[in-house]
Amino acid sequence: MSCVLELKNISFVYGKGTPFEKRAVDNVSFKINKGEFIGVMGHTGSGKSTLMQMLNGLIRPSEGQVLLDGKDIWAEPKKIRSVRFKVGMVFQYPEYQLFEETVYKDIAFGPQNKGLEGDELDKAVREAADFTGLKPALLEKSPFDLSGGEKRRAAIAGVIAMDPEILVLDEPTAGLDPMGREVLLSQITRYHSERRNTVLLVSHTMEDIARVADRIIVMNKGKLAMLEPTAEVFRRGDELARYGLKVPQITKIMSELRKKGIDVPEGVLTVDDAFRALLPLLKKGGKLW
Amino acid sequence: MSFISIRNVFFSYDEVEEGKVVQNAVDGVSLDIESGEFVAVIGHNGCGKSTLAKHLNAMLLPDSGSVMIDGDDTSVEEKTFDIREKVGLVLQNPDNQLVAGIVEEDVAFGPENLGVEPAEIRRRVDKALKAVDMYEYRGHAPHKLSGGQKQRVAIAGILAIQPQCIVLDEPTAMLDPSGREEVISTLLKLNRERKLTVVLITHFMDEAVLADRVVVMDGGKILTQGTPQEVFSQVELLKAHRLDVPQSADLAYRLRGCGLKIDKIPLTQEECVAMLEEAMR
Repeated sequence: MSCVLELKNISFVYGKGTPFEKRAVDNVSFKINKGEFIGVMGHTGSGKSTLMQMLNGLIRPSEGQVLLDGKDIWAEPKKIRSVRFKVGMVFQYPEYQLFEETVYKDIAFGPQNKGLEGDELDKAVREAADFTGLKPALLEKSPFDLSGGEKRRAAIAGVIAMDPEILVLDEPTAGLDPMGREVLLSQITRYHSERRNTVLLVSHTMEDIARVADRIIVMNKGKLAMLEPTAEVFRRGDELARYGLKVPQITKIMSELRKKGIDVPEGVLTVDDAFRALLPLLKKGGKLW
Repeated sequence: MSFISIRNVFFSYDEVEEGKVVQNAVDGVSLDIESGEFVAVIGHNGCGKSTLAKHLNAMLLPDSGSVMIDGDDTSVEEKTFDIREKVGLVLQNPDNQLVAGIVEEDVAFGPENLGVEPAEIRRRVDKALKAVDMYEYRGHAPHKLSGGQKQRVAIAGILAIQPQCIVLDEPTAMLDPSGREEVISTLLKLNRERKLTVVLITHFMDEAVLADRVVVMDGGKILTQGTPQEVFSQVELLKAHRLDVPQSADLAYRLRGCGLKIDKIPLTQEECVAMLEEAMR
């Protein structure tokens, strides 16, 4: 597997030299392989947003290096713009960033700036719309006439259309209802499995991350607290709780049972898994039909 | 009469045109909310819950039917300001509802507009900020606060108007888990200690479980309502309408389907652990 992104001893200090000086990111190093799906967790103020903003050069690290395909992105600061096409960033509530006359033009804005035109541009726009589940009929509408969920999709499509090597999504499902969340997540997974691009998903919803991520980055107080395969991270529920992260209710129920000496597995994340684990135990006790 | 009395309300955002079917956002809703109640309203996006909420302080007026707040009809224009003093509204995005550059000035905005005496404003602002546990931050700039803190300041801004009821439209949707907890525990405290009537619209079932009563909306109508126990025991109905139930209820429901004897569907972690422990014995 080839490494697509490497962070070497990255730190970021806000308000350096002022009384408000704050080390938001503190000596973080890690490597991400091409095609990986990475979940990013951490409570508010853990430094995860600051970290994400350094991945595409929106802010420059106070110390350390960000290597994209082995090259320091700040080697030539004048060319930092090219990094933004390689690392596509979808911010929180991206629907507030729509601005064009039509959805089509809005999605086309990124790839156009990247230099795409004609059929190539058209293809990029339509494919991106398809990935996010936007019906072709919506493309000619004003983005401001769409529903909240559709606006969100249009905004995400605008980033996907640039075909970034790395796609960073910051809380893409915030504010959506359970069904909307489900649909958007499955579209992101489909995008990932078809394009084989690298995806970083920042989320407070552990159930979501649990379902999609290969590995998880956990940030705490500016430091990298964990970078482990998904199952391993959730096995350490008590540690996650210490970092101010909320473990799914079902995970807590199962770990309480474990503590009481009942033989159920560790790191249960879904009701399905819990159900499957409990069924044989209850059957053995003759409690079921 | 109940504090809030909604009678057969219909409302549509569509313009009425000949030959066009009008889709009602609120489609024949009747609901009573008593003073001092904590009511959670759930349902997916577009089910009409936000539209209904905006009827509670005359932001929207019904196309037909009536909404009475403390005996006043919201469609009577002279009563609008009285009603807005009685029912305060908090919205999803805290950044869209803070107006001043300093926390305490923001909280003072409401009473200032009502022409309250300066000394009284001072008293109300302090009291409201203490009630949401943000008094220490009174001199801070709102934009530097965390999401949970901002939302609590927004709640204080409503409290300073001294309403009898506070309606919140997904106040925790933009917050992280600890921010959500801050806001919900503040609401519970205000409800229990000050008898403030709370109407909480939410997507989070773990929040709905804490209410006195849960109202489930679907397609502009009330699908079902009752205590959290009554509502979330209807796992089948909720799932058929693609709504979530707490994970504990989901698990219990499925085990019951396999023959496990369960008298009461557990809604919390503790209840569920106790139920399973009992079953394993």
